[in-house]
Amino acid sequence: LRLGGWEAPLVVLICLVCLIGTLRPSLFTMDQFAIKVAAALTLILVATGETIVVLRGGIDLSVGGILSVATAVAATRGDPGPLESLFWMAFILLLGGGIGMINGVLISVLRLQPFLVTLATWSIVEGAALIVLPSEGGTVPGSWVRAGYTVFLWLPLPVVLLVALLAWWTWFRRTRLAASIRAAGSNERSAFLNRVSVMGTNVAAYGLSGFFAALAGLYFSIQTGAGSPTLGTQFVLPAIAAVVIGGTSLLGGRGGLAGTVFGAFILTLIGDVVFLLNLSSYWQPVVSGLILMLVVVITSLTDAASDQTGVEQ
Amino acid sequence: MIRRLIRMLRSPSPILLAYASALLLFTLVSLYSPGFASPAHVSTLLIVAAFTGIVALGQTMVIVGGGIDLSVPWVLNSAAILVTAFAGGSDAALLWAVPLILAGGGLIGALNGTAIALLRIPPIVMTLSTNVVLQGLLLIGTRGFPPPAAPAALQYLANGRIGPVPVILIFWLLLTVTVVVVERLTAFGRYLYAVGSNRTVAMFSGVPVARTTITTYAISGATAALAGILLTGYSRQSYLGMGNPYLFTSIAAVAIGGASILGGTGSYLGTVAGALVLTILSGLLPIFRLGNGALAVVYGLVILVTVSLAAPPVRALFQRR
Repeated sequence: LRLGGWEAPLVVLICLVCLIGTLRPSLFTMDQFAIKVAAALTLILVATGETIVVLRGGIDLSVGGILSVATAVAATRGDPGPLESLFWMAFILLLGGGIGMINGVLISVLRLQPFLVTLATWSIVEGAALIVLPSEGGTVPGSWVRAGYTVFLWLPLPVVLLVALLAWWTWFRRTRLAASIRAAGSNERSAFLNRVSVMGTNVAAYGLSGFFAALAGLYFSIQTGAGSPTLGTQFVLPAIAAVVIGGTSLLGGRGGLAGTVFGAFILTLIGDVVFLLNLSSYWQPVVSGLILMLVVVITSLTDAASDQTGVEQ
Repeated sequence: MIRRLIRMLRSPSPILLAYASALLLFTLVSLYSPGFASPAHVSTLLIVAAFTGIVALGQTMVIVGGGIDLSVPWVLNSAAILVTAFAGGSDAALLWAVPLILAGGGLIGALNGTAIALLRIPPIVMTLSTNVVLQGLLLIGTRGFPPPAAPAALQYLANGRIGPVPVILIFWLLLTVTVVVVERLTAFGRYLYAVGSNRTVAMFSGVPVARTTITTYAISGATAALAGILLTGYSRQSYLGMGNPYLFTSIAAVAIGGASILGGTGSYLGTVAGALVLTILSGLLPIFRLGNGALAVVYGLVILVTVSLAAPPVRALFQRR
């Protein structure tokens, strides 16, 4: 079993499912599976974008702001017709992608650390969300909420979205772009010398991250029927945690979406375990944070060990 | 002398620029809204600036040392909740509660620093996790019960005045002098700049890199806790979420103050100017009837612009041959 791959998180996930199964056997039904997917999907979507950025060797904190602004826009559209609805949904996704691309341009042109640029844009975009929707609430169009209940071939929408996401990834990971992002993430200099565009890969990675964060916000607001201009803050750490627990290296280049999806499910199921053990729901972030620390400590120790054996005496 | 002055004006130090922009901003706003410069309002602004300045003290140390501390909001909040809970409204309990809480803040910072310096965990991941864990623990611990009001001594420290001068301003001034002395004259100060500008070189020059890094995070934890304690005096109570604004303001104050966020340069004197600029900016809100959203946008833009000015390609543009 290799640490830092998707296998370790899968094992942890199976153990968690078994634990929940022994605590409450009645939970093993197709409906329950769909409910869990629906609960985890927001995190999975944000973490998908974060995975691509981390593969590029960066980090994206602005997903917090983008998620918030997506829910804020979705919750203030009144009652649009079908065409108008399509326009606004596309607008939300493009807005997220656009903000992400600006991040990518700023990071490449100014040669600044990604966390600084995305910290600044996080504040700007979250401020914009507060201007659009000053307090929690608002109303997501009824037609959008009803569309959220669509069922394709007995499969509810969240499950379909997850399958579509995984299908997209199996295509995307084999593209030239994905290879370039990975190459630039593991060694920017040698990637540059091999004619991989530093700016191009940055714009693509952060653009996709913004797009997925906006998609997550749109999905969340459709699920809950309301918006929250401060929602994103709750997702910044879990998104990074899902990526790291999923075995994607913070140093860039290594990792993938499969591990991230397992990581996101682990973080979601921790909430269930906390609930089944009759603990306060506030334990969920505490446990998640501690697990994240544990995983980064273990990976850093194993990395250090492999570094030492790799160095020639 | 005059030649030196001209040279200084030609390529002003970032610290001087920060104070100049604070002064310019203050003058402009006062011209637009004369009440802004009234003594009462100025002393209120200075009190508010002191809190940002104290949180940003530790953040300056961490950033000069080449790191970042995102655990500030909930370290501050934990200290605030604990001090009101421990004191229970009485001044006597502060004698043991305040040192205990400051030590606790320092310890949490030291834990951050240890993980970052010895285990090489990225500062963002470590401090962000600490922040979330503390937030959760605090929510579990308080269970929604508001702690008792802040003791009178803290209220005096934060709101009181000696003559026309706010007590906290004197406290902040003393703190600033101490920090500048530590930065300029002690071994820790020299180590700090060495570690921030180049870890590897510092290590080979015999600088205790790990110890210095851990100390910066410990200071950051302690100053965040200190600000939390004082802030309960200012708002006469503690509440959940009171630390949240200080994540962005502490970093923005350091950035405005001219500390290259890449580490190795900067001084707390600059951060003090940064805290003043940010406080004047937040004072604009009521004048222009803007909400918190606009403030967040402005803070983000300020961080982005000041950090861009320090970015290598932009600096190269301004450098003369």
